[in-house]
Amino acid sequence: MRGITKIYPNGVRADNDVSFEVRAGEIHALVGENGAGKSTLMKILYGMERPTSGQIYLKGQPVAITTPHEAIALGIGMVHQNFMLVPSFTVAQNIVLGNELGRNGFVDWRASAQKVRELSKQYGLRVDAEAVVDAIPVGTRQRVEILKALYRGADVLILDEPTAVLTPQETIELFAAIRQLVKQGKTVIFISHKLREVMEISDRISVMRDAKMVGTIEKRDASELILARMMVGRDVIMRINKPPAKRGAALLKVRDVEYSTEAGVEALKRASFNVYAGEILGIAGVEGNGQTELVEVITGLRAPLSGTIELDGRPIARLSPRAVRQAGVAHIPEDRLTNGAALPASINENLIVDRYEDEPFTRGGFLRVGAIAHNGDALIEQYAIRAPDGTLPVGSLSGGNMQKVVVARELSSNPKLLIAAQPTRGVDIGATEFMHDQLIKARDAGVAILLVSADLAEVMSLSDRLAVMHNGRIAAIFPDARGLTEEEVGLYMLGTKTMTQAEVEQNW
Amino acid sequence: MAATLTPTNPSQSFDRQAEQARVRSERRRTAVIDLAVTLGTVVLSLALAFLVLLILGKDPVKAFTALLTGPLSRINRTGRWIEDATTLIIIGLSVTIAFRARQFSLGALGQMYVGATVAAILMIYVPMPPVIAIAVPIVAAMAAGFLIGLLPGLMKSYLGANEIVSTLMLNEIIVRFYDYLMTNVFTPKGAQALRSELVQPNSMLARLGDLFKANLGRSNIGIVFALVLVVVVWVLLARTPFGYEVRTIGANERFARYGGINTKRTIALAFALGGAVASVAGVHLLAGVHQRLIPGIAAGLGFEGIVVALLARNNPLLVPITGLFYSYLRVGGEIMEQEASVGIEIVQVIQAVIILLLTAQVLVDWVKTRNRRLADRG
Repeated sequence: MRGITKIYPNGVRADNDVSFEVRAGEIHALVGENGAGKSTLMKILYGMERPTSGQIYLKGQPVAITTPHEAIALGIGMVHQNFMLVPSFTVAQNIVLGNELGRNGFVDWRASAQKVRELSKQYGLRVDAEAVVDAIPVGTRQRVEILKALYRGADVLILDEPTAVLTPQETIELFAAIRQLVKQGKTVIFISHKLREVMEISDRISVMRDAKMVGTIEKRDASELILARMMVGRDVIMRINKPPAKRGAALLKVRDVEYSTEAGVEALKRASFNVYAGEILGIAGVEGNGQTELVEVITGLRAPLSGTIELDGRPIARLSPRAVRQAGVAHIPEDRLTNGAALPASINENLIVDRYEDEPFTRGGFLRVGAIAHNGDALIEQYAIRAPDGTLPVGSLSGGNMQKVVVARELSSNPKLLIAAQPTRGVDIGATEFMHDQLIKARDAGVAILLVSADLAEVMSLSDRLAVMHNGRIAAIFPDARGLTEEEVGLYMLGTKTMTQAEVEQNW
Repeated sequence: MAATLTPTNPSQSFDRQAEQARVRSERRRTAVIDLAVTLGTVVLSLALAFLVLLILGKDPVKAFTALLTGPLSRINRTGRWIEDATTLIIIGLSVTIAFRARQFSLGALGQMYVGATVAAILMIYVPMPPVIAIAVPIVAAMAAGFLIGLLPGLMKSYLGANEIVSTLMLNEIIVRFYDYLMTNVFTPKGAQALRSELVQPNSMLARLGDLFKANLGRSNIGIVFALVLVVVVWVLLARTPFGYEVRTIGANERFARYGGINTKRTIALAFALGGAVASVAGVHLLAGVHQRLIPGIAAGLGFEGIVVALLARNNPLLVPITGLFYSYLRVGGEIMEQEASVGIEIVQVIQAVIILLLTAQVLVDWVKTRNRRLADRG
């Protein structure tokens, strides 16, 4: 790919004169921060986007790829971050969909399943051809996607952040499969921003930053530090600098909170804990053990069945989300795309959702457009949101910058309690660093912080105290997060160990 | 990523001013392309309509001249155009309010009947001094429209009832009840035709023809009311906290709830306010166009507000333009029927072709802007 430039209709330049070359039979990693232009470049290669200028060459021949169909015909396949499978179909049906093996106008499912089994065996991608996709785990779905591309004759496979959705074990299996593919002559392009994985799997690494190609290096010349520097354009220090917490009064008191989902699942079982001013209480746990429900109950998005929640001595359980916010709770939600932002709305409007009725945004019953824009400009500047101005829709920003919009809004409300759920999920190094820095700054300013994160390393290094949730219960609270090991916390996460009620209570 | 790093300014390599200039010029270019595509669509759809006429063996040139120049060919036809545009603009605005909250309300038809009926009771039977004889019935009609709009709104918000079904069914009930009232209450005993008495002279909306000393048909100062409503609805949606709530819910309802907006109340209110606006169209039909109640006074207007709102991309400031455009087509179609003896069905087919292509383009744009990403995650 030579001199590729992509300018979106709304004026954003996603790729700027990017050249990118992949050798046959290699594993080539494409790394860069969110919004660096990696995905756009690959979508151009796969025919999903058209470049504004530039040329693609395949085996030395210039080719024009305008649709994914043409890309597939040329032997280019892509596995997206969000899988595109029919949940009610079987694995085999999904793989052959659109290219069914047939006889006399009828689909021959037996032959299809047989073909899928052969492919599965050939490339070492274990799948059950007859299983319904709905019922198989994420890692297997990803293998189905890869098989789908191979079935269509892909020689070049583009994997867009394939490990983002995988468990460590599944990642190991994926890497083994990728090596197997390359051994059989396939070429793999691996998009990621996890440097450890990149160093593990790839032969060569290309780094993008700010819509430009920074460079391509051989793995033997690379290290995580070198790559990080190329990605961010400066030196990065790989540790958290955090002064000790100055703990104040117990701001949030959660006592015996119970909650059941609409389906009748007991999501929270007598959850009790405190969060103190000036500390970060981390909540570790495998996702789906009640963390989401806990956060939504505290913020008023769901009403608990029983129990009390007090903020600064005031009961807040069962209040409306607005009343909870007015009491001093800010909330960075775990899913910023569906909860944290209105993508078609402008940055300015996203920044006032919790305060549009207050001065100076509303005066005399009318919105003050000037004040709203001024607030937007100030927060864009203060939180270094990469946007030319506040009138752009939030949906046009990269993941990290969307998250900054959310953080800017929540922190600028001067909360007493900040709940941060998965604050760095899917954002790049620079934005992660920024986020951690902001959380520590807020803590040092006396805000009580409840941090929920599935990233064990993050939650352990950032928290002052650490709670572990398992199966809707607070399985443990450690008074000092320092000195804990991942292994020990892991035992509580998996339910192998549980503190007694008295032990937990001691550390409320 | 477990690693965290000391903070520096992440925007160091970002030239905001250059970006601003680039985004501005790019937006201008996009706007020009948008306009060109829209005009192209109009031309294409007219060409298709021409083809339909050609296939039917009618005299397409004559029919087309009637369609395209008809509303301007005689002054009374222009009056008919203004009269129809007034109604379409008002119901277009009504639909815009609900659409902005992403609620597919089809209640405008029933709300027009309610507005006309409530206003008629006052305007026919209660003598009032000038101005008051118009203002009071309008307020009463809007209050009734508000309540009748609130009903499906509350059902949607608090009971989860599908608003398309509930508004359509409510229309059905209202129209039947209106028919009953027409026959049994409003039509004087022993009258030849099914129609009410005329409204009181003070309640009649002044005809434009009388003001301008020209034969402008039944067009009346209702058009001024419609234009005032354009400004009111725009201010409501763009410049009030309620408008912010409506737009935010339309953009992402879950986000609105997370942010503390009372989404149920706002959605119910959006339905109700849409009802209040639509009822004004009913008053216009009563006091401006027919000056009395007639059977099916709002017949055939059930979906026209949706077309106008869709064409205007739910922007109240564009509603007058699209309302005028669509009523031009409607009136042009009537004239084509008269002059070129093209059946009304064919007229409607041609209108449908034009609207289909235009709304399809609008829908494509709608989807496009929703999915657009400036820069990708990656």
